[in-house]
Amino acid sequence: MALEHFDPRLRANDLVQELKWDRELRARFETSEKEVLDAYPLTPAERTAILDRDFRALFELGLHPYLLGQLARLIYGTGEKAGTSGAATALIRSLLGDQYEAYMAERGE
Amino acid sequence: MAEISVAIAASHAPGLTGWFDKAPEADRKTVLAAYAEIHEAIVRSRTDVLLVIANDHIANGFVSDYNDFTFGLADRHTGPDEWFKPWLRVPDYELPGSPDVGEVLYESVKDCAPRVRATRENLRYDDNLSVPTTMAGLVSTGVAVVPVLQNCTVPPVPDEKVCYRLGETLGEAIRTRLPAGLRVGLFGSGGLSHEPGGPRYLEIDEKFDRWWMDLLVEGDHEKIRTDVTFERMEEAGSGGTSELLSWLVVMGAIGPRPCKALGYAAVDQWRCGFGAVRWDLS
Repeated sequence: MALEHFDPRLRANDLVQELKWDRELRARFETSEKEVLDAYPLTPAERTAILDRDFRALFELGLHPYLLGQLARLIYGTGEKAGTSGAATALIRSLLGDQYEAYMAERGE
Repeated sequence: MAEISVAIAASHAPGLTGWFDKAPEADRKTVLAAYAEIHEAIVRSRTDVLLVIANDHIANGFVSDYNDFTFGLADRHTGPDEWFKPWLRVPDYELPGSPDVGEVLYESVKDCAPRVRATRENLRYDDNLSVPTTMAGLVSTGVAVVPVLQNCTVPPVPDEKVCYRLGETLGEAIRTRLPAGLRVGLFGSGGLSHEPGGPRYLEIDEKFDRWWMDLLVEGDHEKIRTDVTFERMEEAGSGGTSELLSWLVVMGAIGPRPCKALGYAAVDQWRCGFGAVRWDLS
């Protein structure tokens, strides 16, 4: 299910890679995210989805799920102190949408 | 003729180092005992060179031109990569490489999948190499390492049959193309069920994991290749469970034989089923 939308041509995939690999770019992303996005050849849909933290939209546009998780870490931090870290929670909340609250309640989290 | 000295596999979930203490004590003991046995197995087998076969996790290439297998032929391998340090919380490490052995094995298997490549540069290592290095105390063993990072997640993924066949070729090359007396170990790093970045990020498919471990202990490789396809792995957790393809490379190299289960743990907070085995090479 998770790989059915994947599109290797989606440039947001490459942006996440470059953010992981380039400490300076990562620092600029943290302080001037819009400038970094403007300088990258993203479609308006990709750009909007990143700014809106709409992980579901990025998933459907073709961002690889593994890189989706890493984008969440880039935005929400790497403090994986527990299974329900901020990055993972934000990602799942976006992916599950309306089903999120019921899903988490069922899991007892 | 060189010899396969030891064949092992274990999960490399980042929680094993990054947030190990979030698990119940019994599960922590299971993991520590399994990795202690792996350390002992590497030392007692007098292994000279250890191939660590593991998911690349899209750490070393763009998805538009992505290697299926990358042999790390550096003189020394250092890690973890800077981006992963806050997550993994392991000491920096440096492992001796074995570029000559790696080169021979790379040349032997390079036609087994579409994009088999090798590099003399240090690769970016995340949990794939860093967790086993830390948990199995690889630095203290002094063993030389050839990392083989593979594509487990970017379609088209070399599936269970391709990986097993590549393993068969790898095993043949170890036995026939490397210097006599050399002792080569195989370590499949990855799995069990998990779905990093997907909607089932928090879930572990314990039923699948226990089925997989039982199949391995039985040792019927043909049944495993038939029943545990890449697609079946995806059903048990997309983009993560398919790291078991690295175990299949090891299985191809040693051929059908049973193994000893070194332990299993399903800890939600680790977001990944833990399992480890050691194959019987006698």
